[in-house]
Amino acid sequence: MNANFCVNAEDENIEMILIPAGTFSMGSNARAADERPIHKVHLSAYYISKYEVTNAEYYEFWHSLEKEKTKNSQSQIEHTPESFSHLQHIGSWPERASEFPNHPIVGVSWHDAKAYAEWKGMRLPTEAEWEKAARGYSDRIWPWGNSMIPNANTSEKNDGFENRIAPVGSYPKGKSFYGVMDMAGNVWEWTADWYSDIYYLHSPKQNPKGPEVGSWRVLRGGSWIDKLTRCSTTFRFYLYPTLKTSFVGFRLAKTAETEKK
Amino acid sequence: MRIQLTVLVLFCLCIQFTELPAETNSHAEYVKLVEKGFRALFQGENQTTIDAFNAALSIEPNHYEILHYLGMIYSEDSSWNKAVEVYNRSLELQPDNIEVLYSLGVVYFKLNQWEDALTPLQKVVSLSPRHARGYEVLGKVYVKLRQYAKAVKVLDKAIELKPNAAGNYNELGNAHLNLTAYDDAIKNFKKAIEIGPPDFAEPHFGLGNAYLRTGNPQKSREEMQIYQTLQKIAADHERYTRLTRVDPNNLEGWVGLAKVLMQQRKYKRVLPVFQKCIELAKAQNASAATIAGFHHGISQTFINLKYPKLAVDSAKTAIQLMPEHDLFYNTLGSAYAMLGDVQNAIGVFQKAVSLNEEQPYYHLNLSKLYDSIGQQKLAKQHYQAYQHFLSLREQQKK
Repeated sequence: MNANFCVNAEDENIEMILIPAGTFSMGSNARAADERPIHKVHLSAYYISKYEVTNAEYYEFWHSLEKEKTKNSQSQIEHTPESFSHLQHIGSWPERASEFPNHPIVGVSWHDAKAYAEWKGMRLPTEAEWEKAARGYSDRIWPWGNSMIPNANTSEKNDGFENRIAPVGSYPKGKSFYGVMDMAGNVWEWTADWYSDIYYLHSPKQNPKGPEVGSWRVLRGGSWIDKLTRCSTTFRFYLYPTLKTSFVGFRLAKTAETEKK
Repeated sequence: MRIQLTVLVLFCLCIQFTELPAETNSHAEYVKLVEKGFRALFQGENQTTIDAFNAALSIEPNHYEILHYLGMIYSEDSSWNKAVEVYNRSLELQPDNIEVLYSLGVVYFKLNQWEDALTPLQKVVSLSPRHARGYEVLGKVYVKLRQYAKAVKVLDKAIELKPNAAGNYNELGNAHLNLTAYDDAIKNFKKAIEIGPPDFAEPHFGLGNAYLRTGNPQKSREEMQIYQTLQKIAADHERYTRLTRVDPNNLEGWVGLAKVLMQQRKYKRVLPVFQKCIELAKAQNASAATIAGFHHGISQTFINLKYPKLAVDSAKTAIQLMPEHDLFYNTLGSAYAMLGDVQNAIGVFQKAVSLNEEQPYYHLNLSKLYDSIGQQKLAKQHYQAYQHFLSLREQQKK
């Protein structure tokens, strides 16, 4: 069934999955206050990347900026990821691009993520797009379903990657209904939207794009330092868009061509 | 001269080579501390977070975000003045940051500095016209400043944006009360009670006042009584919370806290408290009856949380420890009934009746179950027993 949705977009390098147009249930009445109320949202068709953007993928972008920089200025290269020399499983930039090419990129701000997405001719997913891709049509608590089986890299023990980041796609059983991987755990993912705790009370029913103003950007999915409960498909987290941490990465989205026409 | 130049060049190179790694190292240390702070923050370790963020800011002081997070932790710990200091530092770096302005307004409110709270909160709602929390606190500030008409306007907006916040209706009730708009006040206090948590005392006080001013002393007394009861429970809650914090091995404190939380219907919070009671009771060689009582409390909590299977397990544990206690069988029966296991439920309710025939509600439970499986004769028999023992009990009371 999932294979039906595995349609490659035009990008040659990044595997994209088509999420068909339709309505899904967003939010939850049983969890945190900012997830209320559960409400129906209709989204146009869009693509979302099957995996989070990796070190190797981000390096291409960074390297292109590096080449520009040597021509023009002496300042630090814009959109350089943060180095985490004290965390051996992540390491410093750019060395980690070759040491851990398939690990999700971390240490990137929301602005870095957005710049990368635009460089690829894409964008960050909206919060609603992210949730639909993770949750499917059947209100799953986690991308794989409702059982608390650790099909993801979280802070819980015995999930295979204790206290460290995993390469993307390490949990094939954790894929979502649409076949999107790693939507729970490993790294939080920046979304395009500003955060508001009351947004769901007033959000548009069609293609919501988040509040117009805000201080924080929404993150979704949880990470290697979070408990499984924070990695649910509805849990909303937020950070300042300038922050670069070891537990935040991103994935890409793109409006489907048919919808554009 | 050449030697002097060589020395100068070497000196400059030395500066370059020594300064660059030092800067890199200090930034690496900053990153490490920020990471440590966030991890501690997620684990609720406030002091570690505070230490880590302060140390990070001593290396790189101009991070408005870290200053804001630090302030939020200070606020959580009620270190209001420290929070004000770091929020202001954050605002120097980013004066229009909506969330820092909001946080600063909240802290001034907590410090009873109403006038100081006005400026940042007014800026919040001007920068972000749909900021419900900003309107909420601004409304409270206007009430404190006795600017009731402004409070009504702002709180109406807060309610429009966030219609299910009981506190806003209570504040709006207060504003209307002071504007002598009693009907509006009563309407809003009633709404606050309707949608608020069961331990929300303040709207009962407001409603009592409103009834008094509209010439309804009987209703006023009733509301004031509820208010006083809830206040007492809240005071007990605070007392036992403090007691268990100061003396974590004080069993009496934990038992008191469990009782209060049950009264407040805070079932999720009471579970770990009962577990702590069991742990301490065992360590202090308390009687089997005492420990059984805690398991029974857990069972009742699971019933209220609608986890009947877990309720069955806990009730059975209580019964193992104290097999002759009728109430435990009644609880076990209720859990079985919730599971739809009628036969087992009837069996344990009968056991409860055999241990204490005069408890009317055991008969009522049996009557309902017999009725559900079509055994009308037995249902009627137990219903009559229920009525009989209930009337006996009422006579005894008189």
